[in-house]
Order: sequence, then structure tokens, then C-alpha cells
Amino acid sequence: MTFAIDLLQLLVIVGAAPLLSGVVGRIKARIQNRRGASIFRPYAELRKLFGKEDLVPPTASPLFRLCPVVLFAATLAAAAFIPALHASALLGNTGDFILLVYLLALARFFLILGAMDGGSSFGGMGASREALVSTLAEAPLLLGLVAVSIVAHSTSVTSIVRWAIGRHLFQLSPVHALAFVALALVAIAETGRVPVDNPTTHLELTMIHEAMVLEYSGPSLALIEWANAIKLNLMLALLIALFAPWGIASSASISALAVAAVAYVLKMAVLAISLAVLESSVAKLRMYRVPDLLGVACALSILAVAFTALRR
Amino acid sequence: MTEVLFNSLLVALLAVPAVTLVSARWKKAASLPALLLLGALLAGALAAVLALGRGHHLSVDLSWLAPFPFLLAIDRLSAYFLLLICVVGAPVVLFSTAYVERHYKGPRRHWLWALLSLFLLSMVVVVTAATAFAFLFAWELMTLFSAALVLIDGDDGDWRRNIFIYLLMMHAGAAAVVGAFLVFLPHSTGLDFASLRAAAMVLPAGARTAIFLLGFIGFGTKAGIVPLHLWLPKAHPIAPSPVSALMSGVMLKTAVYGFVRLVFDLLGPGPVWWGYLVLVAGAVSGLLGVLYAISEHDLKRLLAYHSVENIGIIYLGLGAAMVFVAQHAPAWAMLALMGALLHSLNHALFKSLLFLGAGAIADATHTLDLEELGGLFQRMRVTGTVFLVACCSIVGLPLFNGFVSEWLTFRSFVAGANLAEVAPAIVLPLMAGVLALIGGLAAACFAKVYGVAFLGRPRSLEAAHACEVPWAMQTGMAVLAAACVVIGIAPGIVLRPLGGVVEQLIPGAALPEAALTVTRMIPWVAAVVVGVVLVVRLLPRISRVTPTWACGLPGLDSRMQYTSTAFSKPLRKVFSQVYKPDRTVEILPVDQPCFPKSIAYRSVRTTSFERSLYRPALDAIVAAANRLRRLQTGNIQVYLLYMFLALIAVLVYMRFA
Repeated sequence: MTFAIDLLQLLVIVGAAPLLSGVVGRIKARIQNRRGASIFRPYAELRKLFGKEDLVPPTASPLFRLCPVVLFAATLAAAAFIPALHASALLGNTGDFILLVYLLALARFFLILGAMDGGSSFGGMGASREALVSTLAEAPLLLGLVAVSIVAHSTSVTSIVRWAIGRHLFQLSPVHALAFVALALVAIAETGRVPVDNPTTHLELTMIHEAMVLEYSGPSLALIEWANAIKLNLMLALLIALFAPWGIASSASISALAVAAVAYVLKMAVLAISLAVLESSVAKLRMYRVPDLLGVACALSILAVAFTALRR
Repeated sequence: MTEVLFNSLLVALLAVPAVTLVSARWKKAASLPALLLLGALLAGALAAVLALGRGHHLSVDLSWLAPFPFLLAIDRLSAYFLLLICVVGAPVVLFSTAYVERHYKGPRRHWLWALLSLFLLSMVVVVTAATAFAFLFAWELMTLFSAALVLIDGDDGDWRRNIFIYLLMMHAGAAAVVGAFLVFLPHSTGLDFASLRAAAMVLPAGARTAIFLLGFIGFGTKAGIVPLHLWLPKAHPIAPSPVSALMSGVMLKTAVYGFVRLVFDLLGPGPVWWGYLVLVAGAVSGLLGVLYAISEHDLKRLLAYHSVENIGIIYLGLGAAMVFVAQHAPAWAMLALMGALLHSLNHALFKSLLFLGAGAIADATHTLDLEELGGLFQRMRVTGTVFLVACCSIVGLPLFNGFVSEWLTFRSFVAGANLAEVAPAIVLPLMAGVLALIGGLAAACFAKVYGVAFLGRPRSLEAAHACEVPWAMQTGMAVLAAACVVIGIAPGIVLRPLGGVVEQLIPGAALPEAALTVTRMIPWVAAVVVGVVLVVRLLPRISRVTPTWACGLPGLDSRMQYTSTAFSKPLRKVFSQVYKPDRTVEILPVDQPCFPKSIAYRSVRTTSFERSLYRPALDAIVAAANRLRRLQTGNIQVYLLYMFLALIAVLVYMRFA
């Protein structure tokens, strides 16, 4: 039974990921006074791309087509760590947050390699910038999770969630407030949203992620776009699970799961609206201002870890 | 059985130089030294596995050979490092069979085999020595043989200068190690490790601290912790690739062995600041090592800096273990020590693989400058694949061995929050952030290395016409790569024997449950990732090769690709405080800066240690030496006066002492 629920959760995070991207895009369009595309447009796009052929540069090695697959597989495995509806996850019971962070690193490493294999200027440009952002995001991401796990006395994601369900908002500590801000900043940087990167840009002076995937087309591009959507979804779901898990079912009854599903949709909607508002109201940072932003995240996560020891 | 195998390892390693003499005369026996060496190392690995499994204490007394007690013994710790030497040594030797044949002729070839064997022998004796004399004797030989091996490729100005620095620093380090053993002596009944261990119980606190500090500096010099790493990026790149692989992969680990043996086994628990000192040394080495590596584009020097980084990671684990021991949390100390020891083995595997890969690249393209490489994966599939495995391993990506040891270290840092005292409960979890930053930087660096060398377009004619290396070199590398993947997916096969090793070093505690969760979770994750990759790969996908759109220009060429220097530029800019390069821009003619005829740009990076630490120290020593020269007048009467004064001083001392 639990296994079926876990599989369902994974399907929600993986399957609903394009929908989330569509919703965020639609809200952004409304804020900018446009009608915007349908929220199901990302699905149509994936379908279109999967039906096309892969265009491969003449100098590219077999790795060029393998990289998107590894990226997708590692992101999928990372998604299997996140409890969305029920306080368990396919891999979240045995695996811990260190493995989660490093699975995302595995995905990113192969994305960068794929970008370098294109043999054009843009791939290297995007890869180099992505390397900068992700390198600096790694420490605050891990430290934020360390702080939360210390408070919850466990390193497994699902145990942390179970610990938090049993408490109300004011029983969570200042550690959680600091770690939340740090992880939210990291989530923005990791998923390539404004103000770190602009997912809709095609201006080579500013783009990071788009420059990396410029040489990709067809199914490979579809895998990359899908993996990117899953990553956004899983980062937001992780924030929900760690900092606002209330509503997540701790028993496997139908009614509890229904409540959990409603709560999940509502919380996701709040995050999607905040993300859209943020993206519409803030300008993209200059590349060399991004380390400052991540420095703030790092400082906050260091404080969060320090407070875990002081609050005893 | 173990004893027979171990003895045959020693005898065979000693016999190889003699066999080389035979093979030099007799053409048919040309491959005999390599075969003997390979057989010896396999026997040694088997002996180590047996000793590790049974934990049975084996000792070989060779005192009749030497003027001092010369005893070799294999306990679990020795067996573990003996296994490391043999397991890494055998594939390196296999690789060398083809490499040596292609690159060395005549006497140099024979010298290489003889010295390689003696170098391996000295390392085997270092990790199995059970008396201070045997240890120091082998320790010194190890330095000399490795220096001789470095000189095989040449001995002109650059080589001499770098070897001089290497030998100088090694001897300074060895002096510190000798000093550490000497401090034991007044309280010890003998030179064997058992009496030293007993003496450590009764040593005064000051002497214990002196031993720790001397050991820290002495072994730290060999291991290459910052700022004692200066020799490492100078000596490793100029050695033949298999020798670099052994020096970086194995020789540095003997320093880790020495440190663990001295601090955990002989000396026993110390105050908590010892642990902090080791932690800080590890953090600084890790960060600076990887930052210096990122800015390099000479492959072997880059790899040498990564050795500094990985030694830093090992020291982070050792430091955490020492803090836990001092805080009476032996179970977590075991976890941290396991992380450090496993990372020693892992680093030995993937770093020797990387150096062998560098050898294969140099073999195929005659250059190690990343800016001249590119697109090698197309032409060297096997080398490209194993190099990718090594890159993933060193970065610590899951499903590869580096992740397992870094996970253990991370886990012990997080467990530090359980300590009762506030200071370590803050410091240890924060070190997880340092380790994450090191990991992130390493990922950026190896994405650069692999992306620039193996992917994209070739940047030179040599890279465009590279051919795959012969099968012996491929097999040697493939064995190491296979070991990386096996430990990465099924870490239990190493973690369980390793549990026995740390139980011996930190008695009185059971292995924490957390240590083995990694063995349970990795196979699942591996199944998911590999399963998804296979499923997606099996789906029908059509592909078509088509030229990349070049923004309307005639076509892309390799000069339009990002170079290694360009790739690392953003990171170098962010961390510019670390590099502080000397830059000069010359615009000619001077009076027309807006319409220059030529612009010359030069950027030289001397590491800030060379400038701010070694240079002043060197100047001070030279100045002191100059001042001391005034005593040397060359006048015999003055020397007689010195002798007379010395005699008076001795008499006065004898009278009042």
C-alpha cells in the first residue's frame, strides 16, 4: 500500500512538473498584462519534441545524447526522495538529504558535459556560468538541510517531515526561518529563475541554462526541459515538506490522502504565485552579483547551523 | 599462508632489480620484471585480504639484517594500507608494461623497472614496519627512490630545481618524524611500536603535544597539506605518468598511514585542539587545493593540486575523528575515521587512474596542455570512458566510490551536533558546508577537464589525430575504473573489513548503525538511475547529424569554443583574492592606446604561499647564514680559539650540572 502511494507521489512530482511550469508562466503573463499560453502548453511542447528527431553536431561524441538521459534519470531519482502527499517516499526512507543533494549534482555534471560537447561557444559559456552558480549554491543548500536535520535529529528526508508534522508553526525554531530563506534563495539559483537566470531569455549575454541547451533538439531537449521542470517542482515540494508539512498524510487512509492532495495543491499555488510575482517584479542580477546573493544564502545557513547548537 | 604470501612479496620485489639485469642482457626475458612485479603485487594483495579478514597478527623479524631492531608486522591497519598499495600498484604496473615499452629505451627502461620495484618495496615496508627504525629507514628510501624515478625523464635545470625542492621538503619532514620518535625515547624501553605504545601512557602532556605537532608537520609535509604542499605541484607533473600515479595515489597515503599510526595507535587520545588543528588544516588544504587546481590548464599539475584537495578531505575526516575521541564519542569517531580511511583508498584508485589517463593522453597527443586538447572521446573511447569514471569518482558523485567516503565524512560532521559541548557542535556541522563547497568546486574543475579535453572539437592537430593506446594500458586503467564503480555501488565489500580496522584503532565502541545505511541506500538509487537510463535509451529515437548553426558565419572552428581558461574565468574572478596574479599588459605604441599596433598580455601566478611565506623564510635563512659566515674566517688561530672556548664551556657545564 505504502509502495503504491510512494509511486503515486513520484508520479505527481514528475508528471505535474510541466504543469507547474505552465502555471507559473501563465501567472507571470497575467501580471504582465498578457493573456499567456495555456497552462498545459509544456505538455504539448514535450509531446512535439518527443516526436521529432535529434539533431547532433558533427563533432559531438555519443556522450552528447547520453547526457540528457543521465540528467533525467538522476533528477527522477532525486524526486523519489520527496514526500508530497504521504510522509514517506520511494527512496526517502533509506536515502538521506546528502544523497539527494549529490544526485542533483550528478544531474548537473552531466548537463554541463553535454553542453561542452556541442563544440560551439554558447555551450561552454552556459556551462562555465552554470558551474559558477551551482558551485556557490552547493554549500548553502547542504548547510540549510544540515540545520533542519539537526533540529529533527535525523538525516532522512521523510523522518524530518514526520518530525515537523507533529509540531505547529510556532514550535518550529528560528533555525527553520533562517534555513527556509537560505534554501529558498538556493532553490531560485538552482532552478535558474530570475534574478539568477531568466528561463525565457535568448540573449546570449545573460543566459545560463538556455545557453547550455542551445545545441539540443528533439527528444534530448524534451528530456532536459522535463528534468528542469521536475527540478523546480522537487525544490518547491522539498521546501513545503521541510517547512510547512501540515496536511501531509501520516496514515494511508483515503480521506487523509485527499486532504493532503488539497493542501499540496494550495501550498504549491502559493509558491507558484510568489515565484511569478518575484520574477515579474525583480530584474535579473548581473552575473557577478549572483555570488553576493548566494553569499547571503550561505551566511543565513551558517547562522542556522550555529543556532542549532545554541538553542539547546 | 599469509606469511608465505607476504614473504614472497618482499622477496619478489627485491628480486626484480636483479631480474632486470638479466632481462637487459637477454632479449627474450624483456617482460620478466613486469611479470614478476605483477605476481608479487597480486600475492601481496592476497596476503592483505587474508590478514584483513582474520585480523590475525603476522610478524616477520628481520633484525638479523640490520644494526637496529627491524621488525615487520601486519595488523589490520597495516593490512588495509598494504591492500591499497598492491591493489593500486598492480594495474599501474600493467599499464606501465606498454607505457615503458613505448617511451623508454635501453638502460633507462631497466632503471625504471628496478627503481619502480624498490619504490613499491619501500612503501610496503613503511606500512608494515613495527619498529621506529624500520619505519624511518623505509620512509627515507621511499623519498629517495621516488626522486630517482622522477629523474628518469631528464635532469636539466627545471628538473633539478624541482627535485631539489622535493628532497629538501621531504628531508625537513623526515627530520620532524624522527624528532617525533625521539621524544618517545626517554620513556620507552625500545624502538618497537609496542614499547612506544606503552611509553605513550606515561608521557607528560608536553611531550605528547610535541610528538603530535612533530608528527603533524612531518607527515603533513609528505601528505601535502597547505602550506607544506609546495613540492607537490612541482614534483608530480615532471615524473613519468605511472610514477605520478604511484606518488600521488599511493605515496601520499603512506603519510596518512603514518599519521593515523602515530596519533590514533601509538599516542592515543589527546586534547580537543589537536582535532581542531587537523580540521583546519584539512579545510584550508581542501579549499586552496581545489581553487589552485581550477586555474591550472596543465593536466598533471591540475591533478597534483587535486591531490592536495583530497588530502584535505582525508584530514577533515581525521580531524573530526580526533574531536570525537576527545569528546568521548568513540562511535562517531569510528564513522569519521572510516570516512578518512575509505577516502584514502578511493583517492588512491581514482587519482592513479587520472594520472594514468593523463599518461594515455600524453601518449596519444604528446601534450598535457588542456588548451591543445579536445574531442578525444571520439578517438579514444576506452580512455575516455575510464577517465569519465575517474572524474565522476573524484567529484564524489553518487554511484561512484568518492561519494561513499564523502558521505561518511558528511554523516560524521552532521553527527557532531549531538555532542554535549557547544563549540564542536557548531564547528563540525559547519565543516559539512566546507566539504560541500570543496565538492562543488571539484565538480566545476572536472567538468572543465573532461569537457575541454575529451568533448567538443579538437583544438590542435595532435588532438585531431589521436589514436587509442595499446590494450595493456587500457586494461590497467579499466581495472581501476571497475574498482571505482564496484565500491561506488556496493560499498559494503570495503566498509565491513574497514569496520574491523577502525575497531582496532578506537577500541571500546560499536560501529554506529548510520555507517551502514549507505550500503543499503546506494543500490536502490543505482537501480533507479541505471534503470531509467536503460529504459530511455531503449526507446526508439531518430537522430541526424547536422552542422551547428554558426550565426550566419561560414562555420564554427575550434577557436570559437570555450577554452579551459575561459571556463574557469568566472570562478577565478569570484575567488580573485586567492589568486592575486601578476598581470602585465603592454600596448604598443605607448602614445596611442586607442589604436594599438600590438597588445601583449601576460599573467603569471605564483602561489601566495611562495610569495608571502616561503620567500621571507628563505631570505631570513640566507641572511642568518651570511651572518654566521663571519665565524668562518679561515684563520687557524681563530678555530683553535673556538675549540678552546668550547672545551672551557664543557668543563664549566660539567662542574655545575
